[in-house]
Amino acid sequence: MAGTAEKRLVAFDHVSKMFSTGTLALSDIHFTIQEGEFVSFLGPSGCGKSTALRMVAGLAEPTTGLVTVNGKTPKQLVRESNDIAFVFQDANLLPWRTVLDNVVLPMELRGGSRKEHKETALHALEMVGLKDHMKAHPRQLSGGMKMRVSIARALAAKPKLLLMDEPFAALDEITRQSLQMELLDIWQKEKMTVLFVTHNVYEAVFLSSKIVVMSARPGRVSSINDVDLPYPRELGMRTTPKFSEYVDLASGHLEHGADRRGLG
Amino acid sequence: MSISSAETAGKAIVPIGGQAKKKQGWNRFKQYYLGPIIAFLLFMTLWEIVPTMFGLKHFIFPKPSDVYKAAIDDWSILSAAIQITVVESLIGFAVSAVVGILLSVLLASSKIMERSIYPYAIILQTIPVVAVAPIVVIWFGAGYKSIVVISFLIGFFPVISNTLMGLNSVDKNMDELFTLYNASKWKKMLKLRIPAAMPYIMAGLKISCTLSIVGAIVGEYVAGIGGGKGGLGYAITVAAIQVKTPFLFACGIAAAILGIGFYLIVGTFAKWALGSWHESAMKVER
Ligand SMILES: Nc1ncnc2c1ncn2[C@@H]1O[C@H](COP(=O)(O)OP(=O)(O)O)[C@@H](O)[C@H]1O
Ligand SMILES: [Mg+2]
Repeated sequence: MAGTAEKRLVAFDHVSKMFSTGTLALSDIHFTIQEGEFVSFLGPSGCGKSTALRMVAGLAEPTTGLVTVNGKTPKQLVRESNDIAFVFQDANLLPWRTVLDNVVLPMELRGGSRKEHKETALHALEMVGLKDHMKAHPRQLSGGMKMRVSIARALAAKPKLLLMDEPFAALDEITRQSLQMELLDIWQKEKMTVLFVTHNVYEAVFLSSKIVVMSARPGRVSSINDVDLPYPRELGMRTTPKFSEYVDLASGHLEHGADRRGLG
Repeated sequence: MSISSAETAGKAIVPIGGQAKKKQGWNRFKQYYLGPIIAFLLFMTLWEIVPTMFGLKHFIFPKPSDVYKAAIDDWSILSAAIQITVVESLIGFAVSAVVGILLSVLLASSKIMERSIYPYAIILQTIPVVAVAPIVVIWFGAGYKSIVVISFLIGFFPVISNTLMGLNSVDKNMDELFTLYNASKWKKMLKLRIPAAMPYIMAGLKISCTLSIVGAIVGEYVAGIGGGKGGLGYAITVAAIQVKTPFLFACGIAAAILGIGFYLIVGTFAKWALGSWHESAMKVER
């Protein structure tokens, strides 16, 4: 891991979520995430990954139990700071704003000097390699570029915790690979914590220091696996036996979860 | 893939040489304008021939030449009428736009308000304005004020219904993004909902502007002139009574041209206001 002192950042404390429709989206989720980790939530569609992530952002409330970030409720943290950033599956850019103004938005909403915001935003755009496109509008960008802008927007506010809900699911394989590499790069440089939702086993193993495998109906955690592959990770690692072992392990837990669901 | 599109995105279109440009202009003309122009000329010719063939009197069915002559002969009356109608509908339209947009923002800023008030706006809309116009005249007196009010009543609803739809069209994820950055309700309105509603607002304004002319003319039918000179609606009423059918046609055509002109102006403004981003305002990009 990135060598930070072990400190608990996110805690799920016996969290359950029942929607008003009667769907039990999460059932008794209980685990913690250390500062500096790259954690993937891996599971089939409908197992409550998004719901869990949204709770960490304060966008959903547990029915029972408690989610805390840095010892505070997410809602409180969001009120006070830009410590939590969220990247959605579709880039979610404002079409009437230029790339630069989209990245400036989170800081602009908090108030402060426009000049400083602009500098910070330019720095973030540089990190994702889109500085030259700062004056473009979203519609002029490809899907991968839009996602880069979305990541730059999340990074610009210097979050402690970056939440990503299947951010690369809609991208083609080549674009996805380059974005995965960039994301790992940024994660290591910026020393933040990433919670990454995916239903792709390979993606989870390649990116994560820890994988939370979930199963559906009701959504629960079926296993938590550390991935002891060294960082920085390289594309070549995907063909090593150790990588396959982790893929098998995670897939096994996925299937196991599905089996139990079949029996129940 | 992402690299090549990175390079082409946002670049200006390569300019075309003079000769090619001329040719392209001619092709464009052939494709889009030639057909309508020929159809128009054919139509006018037919219209000129048919009444002559059947020996129709000009006060029953005037020929284009009769209409043209009437417009020229009574140009002072016609132009004055046009001016009056333009001013009335402009005011009616402006009030529709301002009241419609402000009221929508107000309603949209509170779900309870919207749920309790908007249904009545819809019910009010179903009452034909022509039916209530006499009441407007009783309240506001014959003349200018009533005409503007009637124009407003007809032009206002498309603005409010479209604006409200636009303000409520905001994507849920976008809304959550703003929540995550602790944006106040007011900031959400200003930086998210109103910009997102712009295409809807513009669509509403485009409908409203032509309706405001209809409103002004209807208003003139029922509210008369009230002191000053009358507008197109009044001129039409007078022409009908005096059986000056060619002049009546001229007034009708003038009203139509007015509507088209008004629509084009608002349409151009909408294109400009939506400028860089909305698809309906975008030039074709392939
Ligand atoms: N707002 C909601 N209202 C009712 N049910 C919901 C809502 N959001 C999600 N669900 C249900 O909760 C379950 C988990 O959803 P979600 O967290 O989106 O799963 P995932 O992201 O893993 O695909 C699903 O069965 C889904 O239908
Ligand atoms: Mg999901």
